[in-house]
Amino acid sequence: MPDSKVLGQNYPRVDAADKVSGRSQYASDVYLPGMLMCKVLQSPKPHARILHIDTSRAQHLPGVRAVITGRDVPDARFGNGAVKDKRLFALDKVRYIGEPVAAVAAVDEITALEALDLIDVTYEDLPAVTDPIAALRPDAPLVHEDLPFYEGYKPNMQGNICTVLDADRGDVDAAFAQADHIFADTFHSQGINQGYLEAMACVANVDPSGRINVWTSTQAPYQIRATLAEVIARPMSRIRIIPMELGGGFGAKLRLCVEAYPVLLSLHTGKPVKLIATREETFTLSGFRLPTIVYLKTGVRSDGTIVAREAISIFDMGAHLGAGVQSGVSHTLGPYNIPNYRMRSYAVYTNKIWAGSYRASGVADVTFAVESHTDIIARRLGLDPWEFRKLNAFNEGDLALQGGKIPRNGLHETMDAVKQHLGWPRTAKAGTGVGLAMCQWRSGSGPSTASISLLEDGTVSLLTGSVDISGTDTVFAQIAAETLGMDMSDVVIARRDTDLAPFTGPSGGSRIIYSQGKAVQMAATDARDKLMALAAAHLDVQPGMLTCANGRVFVTETPERGYTLGQLARMSLTSAAGPIMGTASLSAMPFAPIFSTQAAEVAVDQETGKVRVVRFVQAQDVGVAINPMAVEGQIDGGAVQGIGRAITEEVVIKDGKILNPSLTTYLMPMAVDVPSIENILVQVPTDDGPFGARAVAEPPGFGPPAAIANAIEDAVGVRIKELPLSAEKILQALHGELPASTELDHDLLQQLRGANGPG
Amino acid sequence: MTHPLSLTINGESYTLLVEPYCSLLDMLRDELQLTGTKKGCDEGDCGACTVLMNGKTVTSCMVLALDARDKEITTVEGLRQGNTLHPVQAAFVQYGGVQCGFCTPGLIMSGVGLLLENPRPTEEEVRFAIGGNLCRCTGYAKVVQAILKAAETMQAQAS
Repeated sequence: MPDSKVLGQNYPRVDAADKVSGRSQYASDVYLPGMLMCKVLQSPKPHARILHIDTSRAQHLPGVRAVITGRDVPDARFGNGAVKDKRLFALDKVRYIGEPVAAVAAVDEITALEALDLIDVTYEDLPAVTDPIAALRPDAPLVHEDLPFYEGYKPNMQGNICTVLDADRGDVDAAFAQADHIFADTFHSQGINQGYLEAMACVANVDPSGRINVWTSTQAPYQIRATLAEVIARPMSRIRIIPMELGGGFGAKLRLCVEAYPVLLSLHTGKPVKLIATREETFTLSGFRLPTIVYLKTGVRSDGTIVAREAISIFDMGAHLGAGVQSGVSHTLGPYNIPNYRMRSYAVYTNKIWAGSYRASGVADVTFAVESHTDIIARRLGLDPWEFRKLNAFNEGDLALQGGKIPRNGLHETMDAVKQHLGWPRTAKAGTGVGLAMCQWRSGSGPSTASISLLEDGTVSLLTGSVDISGTDTVFAQIAAETLGMDMSDVVIARRDTDLAPFTGPSGGSRIIYSQGKAVQMAATDARDKLMALAAAHLDVQPGMLTCANGRVFVTETPERGYTLGQLARMSLTSAAGPIMGTASLSAMPFAPIFSTQAAEVAVDQETGKVRVVRFVQAQDVGVAINPMAVEGQIDGGAVQGIGRAITEEVVIKDGKILNPSLTTYLMPMAVDVPSIENILVQVPTDDGPFGARAVAEPPGFGPPAAIANAIEDAVGVRIKELPLSAEKILQALHGELPASTELDHDLLQQLRGANGPG
Repeated sequence: MTHPLSLTINGESYTLLVEPYCSLLDMLRDELQLTGTKKGCDEGDCGACTVLMNGKTVTSCMVLALDARDKEITTVEGLRQGNTLHPVQAAFVQYGGVQCGFCTPGLIMSGVGLLLENPRPTEEEVRFAIGGNLCRCTGYAKVVQAILKAAETMQAQAS
């Protein structure tokens, strides 16, 4: 990196002082005069017909201002994914425990809760299907009988199958026939809650003019606006989304979940209405990840070269199609060059809460499978797990599963860095072990916009529609300051809402710095070009003879000839072109995958089966670290989320009911449970990202489950193929007890291989 | 039926009427709009609502407002001296201990509470002291570093 005062510097977050002072405003901090409180009545049944809803007792409770059900709102379907299979309120039947049935607005929360108890709903139980394998059977109860009539339906959806994806390359059967060794394993992941600390919260207030103002906790203000417009049957222009400070989301806040209820109740009452989800409701009002089953079969030559891969995955979607299938299945090769493959992937409806997004949905589940399987193959063939991976790892120019060729990247550098850092191969002490995992993410893209205005004193205001997650505003300010040759303190990030900032993609999928940051760089460049043109006209030189740096635009050869940005700002007010502003807009960024290599060292207590992560190392190619402290903070957090996913976290669902919807029983890592992550930032710049930066957020959470499972085998010789890697499972394996079979039935596998699926 | 309550919050005395079931957290947020103290679970699990009561950390969702009668409460809003951040706050800013910020007030109060009792903690003692504070963004490393650095700063200021 050139000796920049701004790039590569550990600037504290631009919002840090407000946050440490308790002055940042989150949606739950919004209090409006006369505000009512909203609570949602949720289904207690996994699958039942609604025979009757009587709200009269609730309506008459003093303090209740409105009670609404599906009969009181526009009959609109919407979707989390490709199929519109959802309503705001269950109408004819409920499909999962927790499905909204009615909503109440009352003068306070206690009254609203009391009113929920007074709503009488008569249900007729229907047979429920909560296991995805059972849901594939031809005689399984149907979660959506009307699927063929939904918008987004495709002919290959049948029964409870709501997505079928397939991809083939080469002659996979011939390649298996010629392989010297064939390995097959089936892996199961578990239900995972995103664990954001700020529960969903929203305040809606409809102005007398009909304008709908929504203060909410979201990663995706424009997507919320679009879905809201659809379900309340109003034009988008009527709706103003004000994204408040985001107290964590990790994908959970990418879609409309709670906003519609306070909006509808505000429309009904004419008053501001607030909803704050309880912690339990973060498990029942918003989707999280449901278990995934991944079958992998791999053909290997004696020299260790992988020649064929078959991957068959089943994604449990719960009652509504959501994220994960596409992104998950597109990572089943791992970061390896495998010439022949057959991929089949199915998303299946069950009577459970819908599968939400979480930090590159599906990819962590798939990476657990791929990187456990890779390790199993290496160990069974007597090959060093690092060398085996290195032999098969992508090189520049290899064909990517996601399409196109693998561009220049730092994959091999991350492997080398971890090897050197650890002193691999390591001989671990008895009862301890080391395991590797490789992570990849296709990287985020999508529409991005930015505008930057030069203020009259030469400072600038930067406006984007992107909600700040993980310090992205700070990095935007660094990109703008670097481009315009000014101090960070002269850049202000404008407060945003959907009225002020033009449409942009959501804050998710590791797309912000790579795509949105690019738009910021382009907008700042546009402003700089205008500054140079203005200065050139006044200095009577060509713009190419000028430099924009240190808060001035000056003639490169004679730096004393020039103007400060403040002078140019004032000159622009009376110039032909007018006040200076830069704008940028882009639709997509080129494919720039990101890679990392991770290693876990674990200690296994052979008396209890308990695993402790002693060390965790990760090397990630970040392109260029515009703010290394922010990058490290983000990959620290991702790795620790992954450690939780590996060992302790599991949403336990029995017969459609969540048994542990609280932080007492859903166990996320605390400070005492994890080591400080040892990070190595590999910097192989992209051609297109801002100053060469890559996306960062997703990969750190992918590898820990496999790295830890591999380390457990290294330590005590047992292989666990089902997450989480609990003490119970390890102890059982140490005692030689066979775990419940994780294998898929042979006939089912054969059916799933066919492109048309089962049945 | 509401009951009268007098207490000191951030050095200022308050007298107000609260319901017997009202938590200290709900009183701070809903009655006084001291919204820096966060509600992450309302069950005592996440630590986002941590405040000091007579110098000791408590999860304010687990304390009834009436049990804070005549007590001295310090919330995150009470740490700054004029425009100067408390050393723990300043270290969270400088060393990247803040990300989404929702758990931050609670973590800072746990850090402040620790340093009141133990001005020279080890890393292990810091991790133990924030053992009741969940953070999903940072992975804790920079939070721990910030509290250790704040301890150094406060030592230097004291000597």
